[in-house]
Amino acid sequence: MSSGNQRQAPLPIQIEDLTVAYRAEPVLWDIDVSFHEGTLTAIVGPNGAGKSTLIKTVLGLIEPSAGQVLIYGQPYEQQRRHVAYVPQRGSVDWDFPTNALDVVKMGRYGHLGWIRRPGVKDHQLALEALRKVGMEAFARRQISQLSGGQQQRVFLARALAQDAKIYLMDEPFQGVDATTEKAIVDVLKELKSMGRTVVVVHHDLETVPEYFDHVVLLNVRIIASGPVDEVFTPENLRRTYASRLDGAATDLELASAGVVLQSQEDGDGRVPNAQPDRY
Amino acid sequence: MDVFQTLSLIVTDYTLRNVALGAGILGIVSGALSTFAVLRKQSLLGDAMSHAALPGVVLAFIITGQKTPLVLMLGALIAGWLGVVLVSVITSQTRVKYDSALGLVLAVFFGFGMMLLTWLQGQNIASQSGLDQYLFGRAAAIVEHDVQTMALLGVAVLALVAVFWKEFKLLSFNPDYAATLGFPVRAFDIALTTLIVAAVVLGLQMVGVVLMSAMLVAPAAAARQWTDRLGVMIVLSSLFGAVAGAGGAIISSTTTRLPTGPTIVLCISAIVLISLLFAPNRGIVWAWLRQQRNRAELQKAMLLEKVYQVSYLEGSPLQTHPLEELRTFMRGSQLERALEALKQDGYMHLDEDGRWGLTPSGVAQAEAILRERPRALARRPSPDGLRQEVVG
Repeated sequence: MSSGNQRQAPLPIQIEDLTVAYRAEPVLWDIDVSFHEGTLTAIVGPNGAGKSTLIKTVLGLIEPSAGQVLIYGQPYEQQRRHVAYVPQRGSVDWDFPTNALDVVKMGRYGHLGWIRRPGVKDHQLALEALRKVGMEAFARRQISQLSGGQQQRVFLARALAQDAKIYLMDEPFQGVDATTEKAIVDVLKELKSMGRTVVVVHHDLETVPEYFDHVVLLNVRIIASGPVDEVFTPENLRRTYASRLDGAATDLELASAGVVLQSQEDGDGRVPNAQPDRY
Repeated sequence: MDVFQTLSLIVTDYTLRNVALGAGILGIVSGALSTFAVLRKQSLLGDAMSHAALPGVVLAFIITGQKTPLVLMLGALIAGWLGVVLVSVITSQTRVKYDSALGLVLAVFFGFGMMLLTWLQGQNIASQSGLDQYLFGRAAAIVEHDVQTMALLGVAVLALVAVFWKEFKLLSFNPDYAATLGFPVRAFDIALTTLIVAAVVLGLQMVGVVLMSAMLVAPAAAARQWTDRLGVMIVLSSLFGAVAGAGGAIISSTTTRLPTGPTIVLCISAIVLISLLFAPNRGIVWAWLRQQRNRAELQKAMLLEKVYQVSYLEGSPLQTHPLEELRTFMRGSQLERALEALKQDGYMHLDEDGRWGLTPSGVAQAEAILRERPRALARRPSPDGLRQEVVG
């Protein structure tokens, strides 16, 4: 997943020399990474590492201070149709007066363009998307009456209704129930089997090897990126979760990373050379 | 003046007709706009803008020496816009948050306006009298031309909302997502703000700067109580605005020395109060009743279960018990109410000796309750466990 310019077919997402800063403090520093077609990639890193900022910048929601993002070789503005976005559930007010189906139909708005209203075809596509996440029975339900996991699935269905080639998801697994987690995983697998490119901001280190084939370890800079088997190592994780200021992890970070590494080792032994003692 | 006389006056009296129409249309416009302001959590934007308009009105008079509404409205428009721009500059360039920035702009502009107004009143300029009507509004000053202008704005607002319905909905619910789809969030912001400023400016004569803000919050707050659908909410909000506007204007015009603005605001406040209390689902009264009903149902279920367990232990689920024995399960009045309700349901009966017992259908109901419980909660009457529970 290194950046390379000599490829023939343009990559789904190519990020070059990207730096983003709020005021003086850089949130992302010199990011070079690309995402290949048909991959499921987790973006992992501590709080404040710039994970959400990274995908928001890809989506053109945040203006970078330097560098660029290319979607199939062109700026985002020219490729919107190919990109679907699942924002964080907490980013909207769920007391908004509307129902689940209506929210999913919003996924069709980009295709409809100005003024035109969703038609029969959009209605069918929205229902189909709701079915894929197991929410067809809740189509007419007022969104404030849905559980957190159900709301998350509605957002996922909305992105599916966009019928895009690239899916960017911001913490879809955050605080969801087991049913929702399974529904999301099933959708991820289906998207992969259809050759879609999926990038997910992810919190739970334990499930990374199970759910994803690629991983980007991010802490303002890219610490490592590539296939999970190669880069999801204790050493890389330690470097990712180490504090930026003095190079040593805080107690809290050590504890969370350490615990996870131990359980990885205890589990299927996928992470070699894990040495919890060192932490 | 009785109601019939008032109604006939609306048709025949030129001033009253203008006032009622003007305030009604203002209500419709601000009602529709308030829906979006409230849903976008920008309720205070109208507040800040209406207050910011005051120095614009006074300065326009000082500069031109004229009191024609058009000139003063222009001043209000410029000042209101300046206020909005200032809020946006403060939030983007400093660490001051949006609500604080609104508060700052509101206070500074309004204070400045009041200072100018007071200074002007001390200047002994005869023509300045009447400017203070922009503080609290004076509906009687409304002429047909004003009504026409308001109607024009009303039609423009409603047409825009109807045409760009899908865009308004998406941009209000999830602006970031709208931006990724390519809809211009910034332009929408400006358009909505411009419409709100226009409504504020038109409302100045009618209700004044102090209370125009209420018209940009209250109708939507009331309407939200009654519906879960955006379309219905906008219609209701406009309706509430119209009723309060026309109603308040008529009341104040037909009563001596009652200011228009406060009267209109009192009308919309009454609608808000009724909505908060009595709207189905969201209303406080229904929520309270629902809670009482739930509590009563739980108490009934609890009593049924305990009587079943004790009776079962004593040999037969149909066993009867004196009232005193049941008092160990529940406090006095609660127990009597629950027993009475269970008797009504046909689950318990009172025999000639004054003893309470389960009916066969009561036994079935108690067993159903126990079955439905999660296993951990259900304390089925296994002899040992039950004895401990009853004794303890």
